[in-house]
Amino acid sequence: MASPPNSEDGGAAGAPGTSAATLNVAAWSPGDDVIEVQRTPAPGPTRSTWRTFVETLRGLGTTFGRFHETPVTVQYPEEKTPVYPRFRGRHKLHRFEDTPQNGAQAGLEKCVGCSLCAAACPADCIRVVAAENTPEHRVSAGERYAEIYEINLSRCIFCGYCEVACPFDAITMGHDYELSDYDRTDLIFTKEMLLAEPLERTPLRNEGE
Amino acid sequence: MPRPESKTITFTIDGREVSAPENTMLVDAAKLGDVEIPVFCYEPKLGQPVGACRMCLVEIEGIPKLQTGCSTPVKDGMVVYTQSDRVTIAQQAVVEFLLINHPLDCPVCDKGGECPLQDITFGWGGGISRFVEPKRHFVKPLELSPLIAIDRERCILCYRCVRFSQEISEDYQLVLLDRGAHSYVATFDGHPYVAPFSGNIVELCPVGALTSRAYRFRARPWDIESAGSVCTLCPAQCNVAVTVRDERALRVLAREHPEVDDGWLCDKGRFAYQSFHVPERITQPLVRDGGFLRPVSWERALDEASAGLRRAGARAAGVAAGTTTSEEGLLLARLLREGLGSPHLDARRSGTVSTGLARALAAPALQARVSDLEFAHAVLVLDTEPVDDAPILDLRLRKGVRRHRTKLAVASPGATTLAEPATLCVRFAPGAGAAFAVALAAALRGEDHAALARDAGAEADQVAALSDLLRGSESDEAQGPHEVVILWGERLTAGDSADHGAQALLSLADALGLADTDGAGLLEIPAHANGRGLREAGVLPNAGPGYGELAGAAGRDAAGIAAGLAAGELSAVYLLHCDPLRDLPDRQAWGEALASASTVVAHASHLTQGIREHADVVFPAEAYPEKEGTVVHPDGRVQRLRPAIAHPGEVRHEWRVLAELAERAGLELTLHSGAAAAELLYASVPFYAGLTLDEIGGRGVRWQERAAATELGAAAPPAPGPGAASASAGEAAAYRSLWDAPEVEFSPTLEFLFPHPELLADDRAASAELLAPELETAS
Repeated sequence: MASPPNSEDGGAAGAPGTSAATLNVAAWSPGDDVIEVQRTPAPGPTRSTWRTFVETLRGLGTTFGRFHETPVTVQYPEEKTPVYPRFRGRHKLHRFEDTPQNGAQAGLEKCVGCSLCAAACPADCIRVVAAENTPEHRVSAGERYAEIYEINLSRCIFCGYCEVACPFDAITMGHDYELSDYDRTDLIFTKEMLLAEPLERTPLRNEGE
Repeated sequence: MPRPESKTITFTIDGREVSAPENTMLVDAAKLGDVEIPVFCYEPKLGQPVGACRMCLVEIEGIPKLQTGCSTPVKDGMVVYTQSDRVTIAQQAVVEFLLINHPLDCPVCDKGGECPLQDITFGWGGGISRFVEPKRHFVKPLELSPLIAIDRERCILCYRCVRFSQEISEDYQLVLLDRGAHSYVATFDGHPYVAPFSGNIVELCPVGALTSRAYRFRARPWDIESAGSVCTLCPAQCNVAVTVRDERALRVLAREHPEVDDGWLCDKGRFAYQSFHVPERITQPLVRDGGFLRPVSWERALDEASAGLRRAGARAAGVAAGTTTSEEGLLLARLLREGLGSPHLDARRSGTVSTGLARALAAPALQARVSDLEFAHAVLVLDTEPVDDAPILDLRLRKGVRRHRTKLAVASPGATTLAEPATLCVRFAPGAGAAFAVALAAALRGEDHAALARDAGAEADQVAALSDLLRGSESDEAQGPHEVVILWGERLTAGDSADHGAQALLSLADALGLADTDGAGLLEIPAHANGRGLREAGVLPNAGPGYGELAGAAGRDAAGIAAGLAAGELSAVYLLHCDPLRDLPDRQAWGEALASASTVVAHASHLTQGIREHADVVFPAEAYPEKEGTVVHPDGRVQRLRPAIAHPGEVRHEWRVLAELAERAGLELTLHSGAAAAELLYASVPFYAGLTLDEIGGRGVRWQERAAATELGAAAPPAPGPGAASASAGEAAAYRSLWDAPEVEFSPTLEFLFPHPELLADDRAASAELLAPELETAS
């Protein structure tokens, strides 16, 4: 449909639902679409000179006036901006500290594989497959444990709903935000990666800072 | 027996006028006015309400105390309140009481997310608990049976499982033990709850007290999808909903269909899905090479099969069984008849019923529906054991006896599980079903039947008593026509006595006037899950699609094929979902037959003995949730299988494989989709004419109720007269229970029900030996 609805000759014939054959295409001229832009009058010679020299110098004044200041650039990655305590970075899974079992060094996992985090996740980036604890192979404190726990951090929007949904405080959001990688599949964090003590790479902002 | 009818009355609920059938319970009537009354223990399928949970309390004008809505029938002019202050306080109190001893371990409970207790607490509960004392604790979870785990802490004592065991499956195993807060569900003697229908209590439980061990912790409700399907592991073809996660079947639930399954499932239907995802499952084509079955490409397997069949030509034969769909049957028939010029194919276990008799038996007027079993005045179970052949019908028969006073008679060669509800049990000699039917027909006609009964190995006076029961007393006749349903097994028409059996059935039907009475008729339980559909699709030696006449001479039946192969008159055999050593009678003859066959092509999902030792080309078979196709219920209901899960490994649609082979044999089919294959089937069978997938839908459609049913053609008048059928004991002994199937054998939690543990170890070891190393080297 070449004709705009408000054009004079097209508007009469081009009621909604009419086919192109009934439109008077030959009578359409591109001039109908041109809208004149109202411009301010061109500045006179005095105003032009003022703009060229005085205003430019005034701008330069701002530039030179900042010369004595030190730079604000943070030399990332050598330097890092500290984050607030409630910053939501990459997730951590937790263990109980006091229940080492079967000679293992660490305690039982807090996660029971209930999958509520996956239900709460708006980005659908968590996958949990649960399994049953046995007396010989006890992983968590409850009847079930997460056999597979994966977070796809390339999908995660770091909203923290998983942390809110968790009935056992098993998952929390850490402070680590350095999550870039060379391969998307490397951004799928498994349970072992999430359980491992993360490298503390991110400085925490001090009180009142 | 007339179906229940009731007049419509009007009552008031929460200030609005609602019309409902008289005497429905308030809970159901309220739903008609969009009012929900919460319930735990009420379940109409379980029969009379018990009012155990007190959740459904409502206020009725004129009655001082609150009443239970689940057990109060609605009356004209009743005024009911479900949201008054008194009711709200009562509901909150009931929820608070129920939660006092409930452990609230929802995050680890399998029911969490689909739990009525959660929903009702959220919707009708008070939101707080005043209970600060320690809760009651039990050891948990316990194994109620190898299939079911019980968590006694979570139980709210609604009695649903106990009522199921006592009143529906009538195995009388579950009881509530102990008193008060310490009550718990268990078997009285402490033995595991092992029964053919035990899995239903998992679905009935309104909390997480009874959970399936096979589904335990596999998924949460938000991880899964549900896909409707039809279970084709036995002829009952119950409607099911497959729970799917990551393209795997994790659970099978009932999809209630009053004309098929009444909302129940047997344990095989409920738990045998595990066999679809076991390592023993064949997932790639295998070809015998140097004595071993080796995984090969599809191209190579198709080449080998096609070459082998073409070499055999008219000396090829085909046998279909198991979950073969009608489309696959039709394509197999066309491959053999048109592609190879061989008329030798069969979908019956043994024996051939002549075309005229088969058509007469399939006459729409003679067909009983499944619900007729429940409402008939009398039901005769003739030469079949429902719990072994089509278990869900066993529950239907019990329901008829219990709720509608149906008179049940069982005529069988051996002991029957229906002996208790049955009014009369008659025995006859094994294999003498046809002879027995002849004697019974004579008794019904008032002729002398003593000699005939003696031939059948039955007592003459018992036959007379049976005929009196079926004829009905005169007081019954005053209430209208006497409805009789005869539920008969395919073995009645087995072997040489096939035509005698069919004729005897027709004369029985004639003597009882089954064709003229609505709600009466014959209902056959075929030996194979889609037996009826395969016969109608023309997988018979003597009839084409729709019991049509064949152009050439009739072929050999299953036993004839075995004899022909052993004698060298036939050289190739195509086995569709059939291991003859397991599924067909005369194991020894089939062993010899398969050993001397030059080409054995099989579609199989597991390496059972016949396949393992004799197959030359094995195509991986689909499991029923993977299939696309049509199946026909024994009462003529055309149902549709739709793919619910993905094919594992390299499995392909079987209709595609058969179409490919048929095209290689010179047929022009150009089938590009399952829907096209279905269209071909509906066009080939005259009485399916005009059937569409939309018409079948999710509930199926009985072809007898469609206009095209007249296309079956006039039935040949049955020749009355006693056919002296001989008793052949071997026939009856050769029948296997449906629990004796690879699906049971290869399901980890169900294998304890497999009747032949010695075979189990045998097949397992052999599968591991044959298949596993090959697969490892291949990958």
